Amino acid sequence: MASALRPNMLRQAFASPSARLISSTLPAFQPQQRFLLQRTPLALQQATFQTSAKRELLPPLPQRLQGTVNDAQILGEPNALHGNYHWTFERGLSAALLPISLAPFAAGSLSPVLDGAFIGMIIIHTYIGFSSIISDYLPSRRVPFWRKLFDYGNMLAVFVVGWGWYEFETNDVGLTEGLKRVWKAGSSTVPAS
Amino acid sequence: MYIAANDATQSMAENDAGTGILAKQRLARPVSPHLSIYRPQITWYGSIINRITGSLMSGAFYLFGAAYLVAPVMGWHLESAVLAASFATWPVILQFLTKTVFAWQFTYHTFNGVRHLVWDTASAISNKAVNQSGWFVVGLSTVSAVALALL
Repeated sequence: MASALRPNMLRQAFASPSARLISSTLPAFQPQQRFLLQRTPLALQQATFQTSAKRELLPPLPQRLQGTVNDAQILGEPNALHGNYHWTFERGLSAALLPISLAPFAAGSLSPVLDGAFIGMIIIHTYIGFSSIISDYLPSRRVPFWRKLFDYGNMLAVFVVGWGWYEFETNDVGLTEGLKRVWKAGSSTVPAS
Repeated sequence: MYIAANDATQSMAENDAGTGILAKQRLARPVSPHLSIYRPQITWYGSIINRITGSLMSGAFYLFGAAYLVAPVMGWHLESAVLAASFATWPVILQFLTKTVFAWQFTYHTFNGVRHLVWDTASAISNKAVNQSGWFVVGLSTVSAVALALL
């Protein structure tokens, strides 16, 4: 503790006759009566041991006990579809995205079939990526409603966005050609299609 | 989990006065700093930037897809010709900067993705190799992003 380097302060703390001595040295140990009556601010109690101010950047999460303290941790059933096969499919799709995303730079732009396949692969890759993000930051046990909402939203987005890009591919020039047109918009005149 | 009333052990159910106070006391304890004090390193910075670049690109892709779908109803014009024409009216330096930023998302995410796939073969996973490949990917993506923006 930093206070070890400042023996004077520590000596002072223990020298001052205080009825709250126990709770100032061990703030976690507070008699029930004290808790129900007025509480000394935690910052004051810890003043003897910390030099910098307390900053509540991410306060402790709600402490909820599931079952009793003697129960074992509940683990999900292992499922290859969400485990092994999911992992393999994710990496396979990521690897497959490499040639199809680099081909337009070599060939200029993609045929509608390839362009549509590219869009589909992007959407599925995004679905997998977003579901990783959602499961990372919205744990079911803490925020079950928001987790479900975002999971369903992620799935709904696949169809909405898929439909939107299908329309763009059909009525307009498609992803690669569209990107190329916007990219080169400032440099040369592009004949209107 | 039901424990018989005449069990030798005493269960601490959530509604017990004891555990209720325990839970409240836990809320009162200070939380150690974590993100604010962890030394910036190419490992975790590179990882979160990979996630951020992927999310930004996908977010833009999703937004455009959804917007193009509802454009007729909303009265918007999001055809490629319109987008290209309006982008052409931007100041050249702004065009270049925008293209560089967008290109960097793509190049960094792609090269870092390759780095991830290499790790999946269990190669280059030593601390030194991870640091080297991390900085290599940053340099390569910056150079290629500028090159793409100059296309």
